[in-house]
Amino acid sequence: MTLNFLIAPDFSPERFAGWHMLNTLLQRRSGIHLHLLTPASPAEQAALLAEGKVDMVYANPFDAADMIRSQGYVPFARPAERFDEMVIATGSESSLQKLEDIQPGSRIALTDNKDVKLIGLRLLEPADLNESLIEWVPVESFQAVARLTIKGGVQAGFFLAEAYASLTRMTRSQLRVLVESRISDISHVVLAHPRMAGDLPRLSEALLGIGREPADSDVLEALGIPKGFEAMTQEDAEFMIDLMDTLLD
Amino acid sequence: MRLPDMTRPTADAVESRLTYTDGASRTVFATEVEVPFPEGRLIVSRTDLDGIITHANDAFVELSGWVRDELIGKPHHILRHPDMPKVAFKDLWNTVSEGKKWHGYVKNLRKDGSYYWVYATAVPNIRNGQIAGYTSVRRKPSRTRIDELIPVYRQWLEQEKEKIAS
Ligand SMILES: Cc1cc2nc3c(=O)[nH]c(=O)nc-3n(C[C@H](O)[C@H](O)[C@H](O)COP(=O)(O)O)c2cc1C
Repeated sequence: MTLNFLIAPDFSPERFAGWHMLNTLLQRRSGIHLHLLTPASPAEQAALLAEGKVDMVYANPFDAADMIRSQGYVPFARPAERFDEMVIATGSESSLQKLEDIQPGSRIALTDNKDVKLIGLRLLEPADLNESLIEWVPVESFQAVARLTIKGGVQAGFFLAEAYASLTRMTRSQLRVLVESRISDISHVVLAHPRMAGDLPRLSEALLGIGREPADSDVLEALGIPKGFEAMTQEDAEFMIDLMDTLLD
Repeated sequence: MRLPDMTRPTADAVESRLTYTDGASRTVFATEVEVPFPEGRLIVSRTDLDGIITHANDAFVELSGWVRDELIGKPHHILRHPDMPKVAFKDLWNTVSEGKKWHGYVKNLRKDGSYYWVYATAVPNIRNGQIAGYTSVRRKPSRTRIDELIPVYRQWLEQEKEKIAS
C-alpha cells in the first residue's frame, strides 16, 4: 500500500530536494510506502485534495483550518519553532519611511500565498488601508516581488519572511523592510486523513523522531526546518484556527 | 481572586474606583502616558467561560506590564481602563456568549497606570459544539479610528455616570 503525502506549494524551490529526502527517511523509519505530491500551485493542490487522494499533508495554516474543521483531518505535528511570518518591504530608494506612509491607490506586489496576503492586510490596517484601497500586482515568485519593488514598479511588496531572508544580500540591500510580523503562533501543520488512523502512530513517531540521529540534520537543513518537528494536539490546532479566525476580518 | 487596589504611580495619576460586573471593586490610577502597540505583533489571551485569564502570549504579558503569574487565573478586567464605557464590554460578552465574533477598539490599563489602544477581536472557542472558553487577539489599531472614537466613548461614559447618579 502507498500513502500520498502532499506538500503545500508554498515552499521555496530550493527546498524541493529536502522534501524528497524527508520522504525517503520517513518511509525507511515507518516502513510505510509514501508517494510525494508536490503541486505547483494552490489550484493544483485543491484539485488533488478534491479527488480525495491525499492521506497526509504538510498544510498551509489557512488551508489546515478548513481541512481540520470541515473535513476531519487530524493534526499531529508542526515544524518546531518555525512560524509563518511576513515582511512588507519597499525599495531602498523609496520615499516611504514607515507603513503609514503607504497611500490609498498604491501598488503592492504579491504572490499567490493566502497566509502572506492575509497577515499583510492586517498589518496595513493601522495605515487605514484595506483590500479595496490597494492596486494589487500578482506575480509568480518572491524574487519577482523583489525585482518589481526594487525597480519602483510597485510602492511595496509582500514576502513570506523566510523567503525574504533567503534573498541574496545584494537584493536585500536594495530593499527596505517597513514591517515584519512577529506573531509566533501561526505555523504550517502536518495532518493525516482520518482513514489512515491505523498508520498514524508509526508515521508520527517516525516524523517526530527525525533529528535524533546525527545524519538527520542534513535533511532538516535542506528542508529549512532545523529544529525538526514537534507534536501538535487537536487542541493546539483548534487554538491556532481560532486565532486565524480573528484575522479573517 | 479579587484584585488589590493599585498604588499611585505618579503624583498626577487620576484616581478612580471601578466596580466590576462580578461585584468586585478596586481603586485604579490612570496616567496620560500612552505606550505604543508593538509593530508587527499580535496580543493574544484566552479566558474560561467566566473571563478568567487562562493563557497569555509574550506580547500580552509585555504590554500589560504585569508578569505572567500575576495574570493567569485573574479576571480579564485586570486591564479595564476607567475611560472605557461599560457598554462596550457588555456588547463583547453578549456577542461571544451567543457564539459570535466581536470586534472593537479598546483602551487598556497597564500595571503602571499608563495605557495602550488595541483593535480587538474576540471569538468563542467552540469544541464539540459547545463554547469552551474565549480567545481575544489584538492588532495595532488605526489612529484615525481611535481619534474618532475617543469622543464617542467619553459620551457613553458620561451617560453611564448620569444613570448611576439619577
Ligand atoms: C477573551 C476576552 C478578552 C478580553 N479582553 C479584555 C481586555 O483586553 N481589556 C478589558 O478591559 N476587558 C477585556 N475583556 C472583558 C472583561 O472580561 C470585562 O468584561 C471588562 O474588563 C469590564 O469589566 P466588567 O465586565 O466586570 O465591568 C475581555 C473578555 C474576554 C472574554
